[in-house]
Amino acid sequence: MNLEIVTPEARVYEDTVDSVVLPTTSGEINILPGHIPLVTEIQAGEIIVSKSGSGQSLAISKGFAQCVGDKISVLAENAIHIDEIDESAVEEAQKRAETALATMEKMSDEEIAMFETQVAYARAQILLKQKGK
Amino acid sequence: MPNLKEIRTRIKSVKNTRQITKAMELVAASKMKKAQQSALSGQPYAALLAETLANISTRIEELDHPFFEEREVKTRGIILVTTDRGLCGPLNGNLIREVQKIEGAAKFVSVGRKGKQFLSRSSRELLADFEIGDSVQYIKIKQLTEFMIEKYLAGEVDTVEVWYPRYINILIQSPTKAKLLPIAGLGEMITELRGKNAKPFEDSDDDRNFKYEPDPKTILNELLPLFVIRQVYQAVLSARASEHSARMVAMKTAKDNANKLLDALTLQFNKARQAAITQEILEIAAATAGSE
Repeated sequence: MNLEIVTPEARVYEDTVDSVVLPTTSGEINILPGHIPLVTEIQAGEIIVSKSGSGQSLAISKGFAQCVGDKISVLAENAIHIDEIDESAVEEAQKRAETALATMEKMSDEEIAMFETQVAYARAQILLKQKGK
Repeated sequence: MPNLKEIRTRIKSVKNTRQITKAMELVAASKMKKAQQSALSGQPYAALLAETLANISTRIEELDHPFFEEREVKTRGIILVTTDRGLCGPLNGNLIREVQKIEGAAKFVSVGRKGKQFLSRSSRELLADFEIGDSVQYIKIKQLTEFMIEKYLAGEVDTVEVWYPRYINILIQSPTKAKLLPIAGLGEMITELRGKNAKPFEDSDDDRNFKYEPDPKTILNELLPLFVIRQVYQAVLSARASEHSARMVAMKTAKDNANKLLDALTLQFNKARQAAITQEILEIAAATAGSE
């Protein structure tokens, strides 16, 4: 199976894999070769890729996944490999977003939505990093 | 004839100007390369978005979405993308001239200080100003576009357009008006997203029906805004590439002019110096002749 993860800014991941676990809005699903063609919504969380026996993790923000034939494509706003997560930077970003949310009376809806996405993505990254230790 | 000192000071100041324009040209050139690269690095995302939309489009008839609804245009909603700084040739001027031609009501969202200044000076209705800065971040564009989409859905504006200097090549940037909402046709939109020289979709031998989770409507509701955001993002990236290339060309012209001016001034300086020397010799010769 071929997996690619792209964000508006770059292509984050592309490789041949054995199976993928995706955090969809209706729960985690594991995609194995021969899966039914699928378009699904993804929420912020962890993508687990297994390739020749070893697993790899990526943190992802909300987006979409599409699975056709033996090709899985993931569209997300942000995605990062577990080794590249800088915990302190993420924590700072989360704190910033949370402080902003605390004073949210002054904000418009889309600002709130933006900060909420940031917090969710930050949380997913931290969880993943702590699990990796 | 100006005296030697005056010419010398001018030569010095022209040299300084040339130094500055030369530096700015180099900076613009390197920024332009970066801007072009980031415009290209978004391609895979666009292609994938197009593919997902194409897959879902077979089901589209069942779904009526406000983005497709054509309504009478009373107020246009325009996202005006300009630069933050000047010294980039006629780039902003050309775009602003287009804005001046608008008849009827229009509301604006500005990106870039020049556009904001123009809109507030000409007392047009400015809904919001977004500072994007030199490196274009997707999340900021998302915020901006969602703001505009909300105005569209609330009926405050009847179209969403993005006006920007489109990058064609280093020498040509053309002011472009792209209409984003309402969406004219899904087919065109997909072609637009995939770019001109995209490969045709790979035919999958998998002919089983698609499954949508949670359901096609939810997915479409989430996908369509992404498409609009992506177009604005691309427009801003293109505008940035335009800005830096226009600045580079403007600075190169300025540098060439400075060089020409320097040549002329140096010639004038040499002539003046020669004239002064000749004058002195004449005076000495005359004085010697007189004293004999």
